Amino acid sequence: MTTVLRPAAAAKATGQPTRKRRVQQGLRERLAPYAYIAPFFLLFFIFGLFPLLFTFYIALFDWNPIGEREFVGLANFSELLDDPRFWGALRNTFSIWLLSTVPQLLLALGLAHVLNHVRLRAAAFFRMSVLVPYVTSVAATTIVFAQLFDRDYGMLNWFLGLLGFQHIDFTASVWGSHVMIAAMIAWRWTGYNTLLYLASLQAVPRDLYEAAAVDGANSWKQFRHITIPALRPIIVFTVVTSTIYGLQIFTEPLLANPVGGLTCGAARQCQTLTLFLYEQGFGRFSFGYGAAVGVALFVVVVIVAAINYLLVTRIRSERP
Amino acid sequence: MKRVIATAAAATVAALLVVGCTPGSGGDAGSSDPKTFEFWSFTGINQKVDVDAYSKAHPDIKVKLTEVGSTTETAQALTTALAGGKVPDLVLIQGDDLPKFMQSPENFVDLSTLGADQKKGDYLDWVMNQSMTEDGKIIGIPTDVGGLAVAYRTDLFKAAGLPTDRDQVSKLWPTWDGFIDAGKKYVQATGKPFVDNTSTSVFFQAVNQGTERYYDANRQLSYDKNPQVKAAFDLALKVHASGITSKITSWSTGWTAGMSKGDFAVVSAPAWMLNAIRTNAPKTNGKWDVATIPGGSGNWGGSYLAIPKRAKNPKAAWDYIAEMQSPEGQLENFLSKGNLPTTPSVYTDPRLVGKTDPFFSDAPVGKIYTESVLGVKPFYIGPDDATIGSELINAIISVEQGKLPPAKRGTPR
Repeated sequence: MTTVLRPAAAAKATGQPTRKRRVQQGLRERLAPYAYIAPFFLLFFIFGLFPLLFTFYIALFDWNPIGEREFVGLANFSELLDDPRFWGALRNTFSIWLLSTVPQLLLALGLAHVLNHVRLRAAAFFRMSVLVPYVTSVAATTIVFAQLFDRDYGMLNWFLGLLGFQHIDFTASVWGSHVMIAAMIAWRWTGYNTLLYLASLQAVPRDLYEAAAVDGANSWKQFRHITIPALRPIIVFTVVTSTIYGLQIFTEPLLANPVGGLTCGAARQCQTLTLFLYEQGFGRFSFGYGAAVGVALFVVVVIVAAINYLLVTRIRSERP
Repeated sequence: MKRVIATAAAATVAALLVVGCTPGSGGDAGSSDPKTFEFWSFTGINQKVDVDAYSKAHPDIKVKLTEVGSTTETAQALTTALAGGKVPDLVLIQGDDLPKFMQSPENFVDLSTLGADQKKGDYLDWVMNQSMTEDGKIIGIPTDVGGLAVAYRTDLFKAAGLPTDRDQVSKLWPTWDGFIDAGKKYVQATGKPFVDNTSTSVFFQAVNQGTERYYDANRQLSYDKNPQVKAAFDLALKVHASGITSKITSWSTGWTAGMSKGDFAVVSAPAWMLNAIRTNAPKTNGKWDVATIPGGSGNWGGSYLAIPKRAKNPKAAWDYIAEMQSPEGQLENFLSKGNLPTTPSVYTDPRLVGKTDPFFSDAPVGKIYTESVLGVKPFYIGPDDATIGSELINAIISVEQGKLPPAKRGTPR
């Protein structure tokens, strides 16, 4: 922009008024970039930063949205630290996240490797099929899974019964409900991650695989020595994205156990942090306490993001 | 360059406009049509019947009915709306949710300014009192109450060798101990569970039969000291220990399936529950009957119609309430959908007393439920009743699921 405008301005530059004009011109040029980025930052301040700071502010109050508000300082936070429901929700969040992320990414890796196979027939069909679960609505998925895992009439328990086992009350136990929710998440996201891996694998020259095959490397060896190293950056990416998703799990636990409602079970066995936040803020309308949960969640995310950052830099420096 | 600044300025204006249009200010914008009003209800109570009847009688008035969701979801949506969103002109609030809203009566139109003070005598005192502030403002008009009873399967009772006649069945269980004994006999004869669960079918009924619930007479929280709550809780544990329940939580998917498959023979049934049974298990038509509840009178449920302060068309909403919730209106409603009136003057009406329900073996539902409601000993329902109730129920469900030793009682906050 500078190079285009300056000759034009210089051509008109004669005497006092032009000096003024040049100052104006310079000012405009210096301001132009800010004008360009202004819309984003304006929106960010209004919809990003302001709500964030406002959450911190609300957390200092005992705040009923349709009634009174009272300043209580840090009382909400000290109450939160003593609240077994909060620690339970934190534990549930991490447990469900681990149970869903680890098998999901491993499965996606394996699937991507197979889908990338040279001699796969109808490859496009299979590649597109893996994305179907991702397209399905979360609510629909959850309802189907909740019926599969039902204690009395679920298909899984029907099958267990056929094999002579006792019915398992999945939703009632901690592990059962976590496995159920993790299964929903994995079902939904495995195909998505598979496609990401596959896209990255397509960039790996076929010759590498062919040469390896000629050298007598079986599929497992090819997977270990070609696929995994090639995918390293995208693995980091999927770990980061699934962490973000994992810490915000909400719909699945909300709908998985309709009886428990916002508590996800009578003993809060699968209540996640976001669900706990929602229960306090919008179920019971203790805005202050809900906001305190929000701040705590923010801190957790920052810590996990920091760990992620360390992980990413470590892996980068390891790369040849 | 000018264009750049213009674009940035336009974006700024657009952003400000977006902010300006958030629900906070949206409610006041726009003109309203005096012939139209908006009505929020919850699902499962079939307000559409009333709305259709009203529209038929007043073809010039348009009622926009929205079924927001469950009772809880509707109360949540209303709270959000009151806090700064677009409010409806008329809203149905469940009895247990009402006390929370009664804490801030300034959010609602005082219905006595519209003429409700002349009509309040039409309704059961203790029901009406719950929607009146201490200084006499009327926040809501009660639409129905949920007198208690028990629905049971005659075919399954017969197979188990128990009496099937409703009077004889009622005599089986004048007390909850009698209920447990009948249950044991049933389980012994059939090998199947007797009642659906202890949480809603036993605890919630028993706790509603008391003279005091989670608050004492001075409106102070007392659920942890109140012997009546403890007795109801202990009763639930006793029923659980006797092994007569199927441990299927009410409203779960298994509950609906179990109801039609006959996995339990007994469900505690406030007046409005009959509709739930009818819709959830249509194939069991004629196999049910209704007997009295062990332990005497009680009430579970009931709702109120209220008008938010910022309603655009409070007059039309009030006209609707006045007509549909008059004793005659409530009686019509009972005859068509079975919600029990809150207006005692119609309790002796032959149409109500003579009302029988073919789905429930022609049980005289009008008589059974009004008798239950007339014996109610009213107690104060406070702002945290819904929360405490659901925490206590959750504790019992945990016991049923074997996740909590029966001795460890839940301590809700």
